[in-house]
Amino acid sequence: MNKYTVINPHEPFRVLNTHVHNIDGIAKVTGRATYTFDVKLPGMLYGKILRSPYPHAKIIKIDFSKAMEIPGVIAVVTGKDTLGVKQGIWRRYKDLCDEQILPVDKVRYIGEPVAAVAAVTEEIAEKALDYIEVEYEELPATFEPLDAIKKDAPEIHEGFERNINVTRHIEWGEVEEAFEEAEYIREDWFKCGGQAHMCMETRAAVSSYTPEGKITIYSSNQSPYYMQGLMAGVLGMREGDIRVLSQYVGGGFGGKFELDGAIFCSAILSMKTFKPVKICYTREEDFIATKRRTPMFYYTRTGVKKDGTFCAREAKVFTNGGAYTGMGATALYLTGFFHSFPYRWKGYRYDGYRVYTNTLPSTSMRGFGAPQAMWCSEQQIEWIAADLGLDPIEMRRKNSHYEGYVVPGQATIASCGIDQCYDEIRTWIKSKGKLPKDRSIGISACGFMSGGIFNWFDSPYSFSSAVVTVNNDGTVELHVGAQEIGQGSNTTMAIICAEALGVKVGDVKVHSGDTDHCPADLGAWGSRQTLMAGNATKMAAEDAKKQLLEFAYAQSGLNIVYDLDIKDSWVHAIARPERGETFEALVKRATRGKDGQRIVGRGYYTPHRKGMISPAYSYMLQGVEVEIDEETGKIRLLDSMTAHDCGQPINHLGLMGQLEGAFSMAAGYGYLEYMPFEDGKMMNPNLVDYKMIRSTEMPPANIAEIDTYEPEGPYGAKEAGEGLTNPTAAAIGNAIFHRFGVQMKECPVRPEMIVNALKEKAEKDKEAKKK
Amino acid sequence: MEKKLITLIVNDIEYELYINPKTLLVEAIRDHIGLTGTKRGCETVSCGACTVMIDDMAVKSCSVLAIQVDGRRITTSEGLEKNGVLAPIQKAFLDEGSYQCGFCTSGMLMSSEAFLKETKKPTEEQIKEAIEGNICRCTGYNSIVRAIAAVAKGKYAEVKS
Amino acid sequence: MSEQQKKPIICPVCGKKAKTGSAIDCARHMFGTGDKPHRQWVDANVKDQGESFIDLLIEQATTPGNRSYVLLAECIEKAVKDAEGK
Repeated sequence: MNKYTVINPHEPFRVLNTHVHNIDGIAKVTGRATYTFDVKLPGMLYGKILRSPYPHAKIIKIDFSKAMEIPGVIAVVTGKDTLGVKQGIWRRYKDLCDEQILPVDKVRYIGEPVAAVAAVTEEIAEKALDYIEVEYEELPATFEPLDAIKKDAPEIHEGFERNINVTRHIEWGEVEEAFEEAEYIREDWFKCGGQAHMCMETRAAVSSYTPEGKITIYSSNQSPYYMQGLMAGVLGMREGDIRVLSQYVGGGFGGKFELDGAIFCSAILSMKTFKPVKICYTREEDFIATKRRTPMFYYTRTGVKKDGTFCAREAKVFTNGGAYTGMGATALYLTGFFHSFPYRWKGYRYDGYRVYTNTLPSTSMRGFGAPQAMWCSEQQIEWIAADLGLDPIEMRRKNSHYEGYVVPGQATIASCGIDQCYDEIRTWIKSKGKLPKDRSIGISACGFMSGGIFNWFDSPYSFSSAVVTVNNDGTVELHVGAQEIGQGSNTTMAIICAEALGVKVGDVKVHSGDTDHCPADLGAWGSRQTLMAGNATKMAAEDAKKQLLEFAYAQSGLNIVYDLDIKDSWVHAIARPERGETFEALVKRATRGKDGQRIVGRGYYTPHRKGMISPAYSYMLQGVEVEIDEETGKIRLLDSMTAHDCGQPINHLGLMGQLEGAFSMAAGYGYLEYMPFEDGKMMNPNLVDYKMIRSTEMPPANIAEIDTYEPEGPYGAKEAGEGLTNPTAAAIGNAIFHRFGVQMKECPVRPEMIVNALKEKAEKDKEAKKK
Repeated sequence: MEKKLITLIVNDIEYELYINPKTLLVEAIRDHIGLTGTKRGCETVSCGACTVMIDDMAVKSCSVLAIQVDGRRITTSEGLEKNGVLAPIQKAFLDEGSYQCGFCTSGMLMSSEAFLKETKKPTEEQIKEAIEGNICRCTGYNSIVRAIAAVAKGKYAEVKS
Repeated sequence: MSEQQKKPIICPVCGKKAKTGSAIDCARHMFGTGDKPHRQWVDANVKDQGESFIDLLIEQATTPGNRSYVLLAECIEKAVKDAEGK
C-alpha cells in the first residue's frame, strides 16, 4: 500500500530504528489505559462551566443563590473566588500574561468561562448553570485584526494601543538592495484559516485539594511541569505542593500545554469544597472555548533573478490573536522565520503583528505558524517558477539550505538532507508518467525546528532531564519529564536508553507524566522531545553504563588499550565479544560494590548558543496527487510522497505513524477543516459540520527517509512529525494551480472557492479574447 | 423517571443494572459497570470512539439506550483478549503501530473486529469504509487499514496443532 | 555624505547601539523595543509630520516597502545632529 525507501541508511543499531512495538501498546489496545477522562476518585464531584454568550462585556454581577438551592449542588465559583492573577505562558513578559481564565471584570470572547459549578452528578451541575444569573454590560466588539487596529476600535486589553498585542521583526541582509538586484518581483496577499486541535480526548481535569494545603491534578496535557508552574502562580501555592498527573493523554497537538478552563475551574472548585472535582469538556466546548491555530493575513513580496536565483523577500503579517496571548507570540515569531525556509535569501524582512480581537484566542498548533507560512511561500514560489518558465523543483533546489549554511543572525544548519529530497520527489513524479486529465500533482518544501532555544516560561531548570536507575535484576527505571501524548515519546526514550545502556527495550520501564516522581521537562511542544529529552536520556544511560563498567573493568584484568561494552545485555570486550558476562551479573556486583545502592545515572540538556530559534532543523519535500471535480470543486487526494530528513530515525513505527498522521492533519488544514466565525461565534462547533478527514479520504503515504547526521541530536536525530504538518496545504494548492491555473489565496480551500475561481478565470479569459 | 432493571452481558459477564431509562449504553458501560476502555469523543454520534459490538454488529454506543439492549451480548475492547491472550486484531495493531494517543483505539478495534467477522476477503476500499465512522486524529488511518488487512490475510491465524 | 566616516548612531532613548549603528538599524530597534520611553520619543519626534508611533507601525504592516523605518531613521539622524550641534 505504501512504499517506504531509505536513502543513506546508517550502520544498523541494536535497538534504534528497529521495529519496536510502542511500549504503551498493551494498555492502549486492551482498554486498560486510564485517561483523565476516565479518572474517578472517591467522593468526586462533577463540574460544569457557565460561559459568556457575549464577545465583549463587563461582568456587573453574578448571583448564584438559586443554583445553590438545587439539591446536589455543592459549590459555585466565579472570578471572585480566585486571586485574580493574570497568567500566561510567556512568564518572562508580564504584559503578555493577560488571562485570568475565570475573569473578574470582563469577558472578551463568546464561550469564556464566567462561573463554574460542582455537583454530585454531571447532570445536576449542567442543570445548575441555568440558575446562575449573570448581569452583563455589553461592550462593542471587534472580530477581525484589520478592524481591531482602527483608531475607533474598542480596546480589548487596557494599555494595548490599537489592540496590537505583540510585534515581531526578523531581518537580515540589505533588503532594499537585494530587491534592486531582482529581475522579477511578485507580491501576493493570502489568508490562512484557523484550525481546531480536535484531540480525541477533550480538555479534562480532576483536581483534589486537601486540608494540608496540597493539590493533586489529573490533567490531559502536554507538559505537567508547565501546568505545575502555572497553577502555582494562579493559586498562590508552591510548585512542590502541586502534583500534576498525566499518564495517558488523548492527543495534544499544541493545544494542551497552557492552562485551560478544565484545570483551572476544577482546582478552584476543589479548593472551595475540599473534594475532588472533575471537569470534562463536551466536544462543543472543546471547539468554542479552547484556543485554536492562529489565523493569519499574509502579504509577501519576493524578488528573484530571471534564472530563478532568490534575491529578496519581505513579508508583513497580521495574525488574529483572539482574546488572549496564549502561545500566539511564539507562533508570530516562528511563522516569520519559517516563511524563509528552506531557502537562502540575500535580503529578508518579516514584520509580524498579532492583534487582539473578541474571538477565540489563537495559539500554538502543530506546525506553530509554519503551515501558514508555507501556504503562502510555497505557492508563490510555484507561481514565480511558472511566470518565468522555470522548473519548480530545480528552482527550489538551487536556492536551498545546505549543511553548514548560516541563516544570517538566526541559525546554523548543521545537517540538511533536502537536496536528496528533491531527487526522490522527481523520481516519484516521473514514475507517475502522464497523468489523466482530471489529476495533477503539487509539491511543497519546508523545514522545521527541533525544539526551541527560548525560555520565555522562565524556568530555572534544565530544559530536559532524565534519571536512569538500574535494579538488581537488570531491569531499568527511566524517569523522564518528557510527556507522552501519543507521539511515542515513552517508546523513543526507552529505545535511546536501551541503546545507550546496552539492554533490551523490554527491560526499560519508563516513568513519565507525574511531577511528584519525574524530573522537570518543558514538555511536548515545538518538536523538542526527541532531541532534548533524548539527549538527557542518552546522557543518563551513558552515566549509568560508565558506573557499571567501572566494576567490570576492575575485575577484567584487561590491558588499558582494550574497551568493554554492553550490547543486548551482554558485557564484553569489544575485541573479544564472545567472552563476557550478563548485564544482570554485572549489576549484582556493582550494587554490592556500592553498599547496596542501585546504580543511578543522571542526564540533562539545555541548548546553549544555538542561534535564535533551534539547535537543529529537519527538512522535507512533499508531493500530493490530487483529483478535482471541475463542476463541484470537490478535491480527492489520490497519492502522496514525502521525502523526509529527520537525521537518524529512532523509533521506526513511531516515525511512520508521525509522518502519516501529520499528513492527515495537514491535509485537513488544506481543504477540509473550515472554521467560520460570525460576530465572534463559531458556526460549526461539532463533528458533523467541522470536516475531519476520514479513512476513505486518506491517500497512500509513500515515504523516502533520507538519513543524515545531526551533531546536536541524540545519535544524530532530529524532529519528525511537526515539520510534516507544514507542506501539505501548499502542495494541494499547487496541485490546484497546475490543474486549472488558478491561484488560491485562502486556506482551507472549499469546493465553492474552486468553482468561483474557475468562473472568474473563464470570465477573464473571455474578456481577454474580446480585446 | 422510574428506574428500570436490565441485564447486559458484557464481555461474557452478566451485569444486572438498575438505571434511569435515559441512560445511554456508553454511560451504562463506562459509569455503571465501570469499563472505561470505551470512550466518548462527541455528542453527535460522529466520532466512533464509543463503538462496541452488540452481538457481532459494530454500534456507536452513544446512539442506543441501555434499555434497548437489555439481555443482549455486548463486546468492548476489554473483551477482545481471552485469558491474557490478545486477539489477532490487537496483535496486528501492535505490529503496525495502529494507535498513537490511543483514545480512538477501543472504538477502532471494535469496528475492525465486527468487520473482520463479517467480511472474509476484503479489499482495501472495503476496509477503509468499515472504519469510516471512526475518527482518528493521530494516525492518518493507513496503519489501521494495514492491521486489518494483515488479519484478514490470516497473518495471525492460530496454528492448529 | 561627508568624507568623514559616519559615526555610529546611539539610541537617543536608551543609549544602545543597534547592530551596525546605522540610523535604519536604530529605527528598527525603536520599533522592536516598543516600550513606553521609545514610543514617547517617537511620538514626540514624528508629530510635526502628522504621524505617531502606532501609525508608523501600522503603515509598516500594511504597505510594501520600508517607508516608516526610513522616516523614523531620518528623524533619528536629525535629532542626533541637533543634539551634537547644541
